[in-house]
Amino acid sequence: MTDVLAKFRLVGTGGVLAYRALFNWARLPVFIGTLLAEPVTQLVFFVYLGRQLGVANDTFFIVGNAVLAASKAGVYGGTMAVGNERRFGTLGNVLLSPRSRSAVFLGRALPYAANGLFVAVFTLTVGSLLFGLDLPVQSLPGIAAALVIASLTCAFFGLTLGALGLRLLDVWLVSNIAYVLLLILTGVNVPSETLPGWVQAIGDFVPVTHAAEAARLAAAGADFETLAGPLALEAAVCVGFAVLSALLLHVFEKAGRTSGSLETI
Amino acid sequence: MDTIRLLGTGVLLHAKQMSRSPLEIVISLVDPLVYATLAVYLFRAGDEPHAVIEAAIGAGMMAVWVSVLFGSGGAIQKQRFQGTLELLMLAPRRPVVCFLPITIATAVVGVYGLLATLLWGVVVFGMPLDIADPAAFVIAVVGVVASLGMMGLLLASLFIMLPNANALANTLSYPIWMLSGMLLSLSVLPGWTTPLSNALPTTWGARAVREAAEGGAVWPSLAAAVGLGLLCLAIGAVAMTRMERRARVAATLSLA
Repeated sequence: MTDVLAKFRLVGTGGVLAYRALFNWARLPVFIGTLLAEPVTQLVFFVYLGRQLGVANDTFFIVGNAVLAASKAGVYGGTMAVGNERRFGTLGNVLLSPRSRSAVFLGRALPYAANGLFVAVFTLTVGSLLFGLDLPVQSLPGIAAALVIASLTCAFFGLTLGALGLRLLDVWLVSNIAYVLLLILTGVNVPSETLPGWVQAIGDFVPVTHAAEAARLAAAGADFETLAGPLALEAAVCVGFAVLSALLLHVFEKAGRTSGSLETI
Repeated sequence: MDTIRLLGTGVLLHAKQMSRSPLEIVISLVDPLVYATLAVYLFRAGDEPHAVIEAAIGAGMMAVWVSVLFGSGGAIQKQRFQGTLELLMLAPRRPVVCFLPITIATAVVGVYGLLATLLWGVVVFGMPLDIADPAAFVIAVVGVVASLGMMGLLLASLFIMLPNANALANTLSYPIWMLSGMLLSLSVLPGWTTPLSNALPTTWGARAVREAAEGGAVWPSLAAAVGLGLLCLAIGAVAMTRMERRARVAATLSLA
C-alpha cells in the first residue's frame, strides 16, 4: 500500500515539480502569449480563410483548431520535459534515482496534458464566443472526452519527441517540424478527404486526427455510440505513443550510459 | 558612401551568420512549405478556383514576416547574449546604422521561404512559373526586404523595452498574416480592420509582390510599402537612440 502511495506521489508531485522547473513557458505573460493568445489567433485565421474559400463552415474550423490547440503544450512541453534536463545538466541526477523510470516520466506527461486540456477548452470557449458558435449542451460530454484524450495523446507524443532529445543534438528542430506538420496531417484545417491518401494514412497515426473527428461529430449532435469509434482510435494512438516514449527513453538511456554521452550536447 | 558600404557588408555578414543556424533555416523552409501545401489543398477544396502561385507567394510572404518578427524582435537581445552588444554600441556610428543590417538580414533569410514555396509549387504541384513581370517581381521582393527590414528595426527597438517581448512576438504571426492579406483576402475581414491593414508595410509589400507575379499596378503598392517602412525606420531610430542613452546612463546595456 505504501509503495503504491509513494508511486502516486512520485507521479503527482514529481510531475508538478518537473513542470515548474522545466517548462520554459510557465511564466504568466509567456503562457498567455504563447499558449492562450496564439491558438486563438490561429483559429480566427483559419475561420476567415475557410469563409473566403467556402471550404467548410465555422464549426469545422473552431472545433478542429480547439482540439489542435492542445498540441502546443504537449509537443513542446514533452520535449522540454526530457530535453531541458539534458540542457540544464540535471539528467544524470534523474537517471541515478532508484525510482521507476516509467513513473518518473509518466508524471512528466500529465501536467502537460492538463495544460493542453486547459488551452483547448479556452480556445474553444473564446472561438465560440467570437464567432457565435452555439454548441448544444448534449454535445459537451463528447467534446470534453475528445479534448481529454487528445491532450493526453499530445503529451505522450511530446514525450516521445523529448526521448529523441537524448540522442539528437537539436531536438527543437524535430519538435518544431512535428508541431507544424500536425496542421496538415490531422485534417483539422483541410477536410481529410481532399488530402492525398498517403497523407490521410499518416494522419491516422498522429495525435488529434481522431479526436478532432470525434469532437466535430459531437458538435453535430452525434450520440456517444457514434463517437466511440474515433475516440477509441485516438486512445489507441495515445497508448501507442506512451509505450513508444517509454521504449525510446529506455533504449536511449541504455545507449547513453554505454557510450557515456547522456549529457553531451 | 561609407554608410551604404556598412549596410551592405552588415547585411551580408548577418545573413550568412543566420544561415548557419539549422533552427532558423528549418523555420524559414519547412513552415512555409507546410502552409503553402495547406493553402493549395484548401484552395482545391474551395468553391472558387485559385492558382497555386497565390498559395506559394502568400505562404512565402508569411515566412518573410515570421523571420522578421522573431529575428528582428529579438535582435538586440541576441547581441546581448552573444556579448557583442557593447561592441556594436561602441562603434563610431549611430546605433541605427549598426542594427539596420541585422533586421534587413532577417528579411533576407525570410526570402528563402518565398523561394522555397515557389520551387515547391513548381516541383510538387506542377505550377507553371508564369511571373507576369519578372523584373518588377525581383524589384518588389528587394523593396519588401528593405521595407520589412526597416519595420524590423522598429520591432527591435520596441521589443527591447518590453520585459516579455517574446510572448508578444508569439501572438503576432497570425494577426499580421491576416491583416496583410498574405493568404486570405482582406475583403473577408471586418471593416474596422481596414485602417490597420492600410497602416502596415506588410500589406503593401505583399500586394506589390502579388501584383508583380499576377499582373497589376506594382509601383504604387511598392512605394507605399517603402514609404511606411521609412516611417518605421524613423520611429525606430529615435527609439533606439533613447534606449542607448538610457542604458548608458543606467549602466544596464549588458543586463537582460
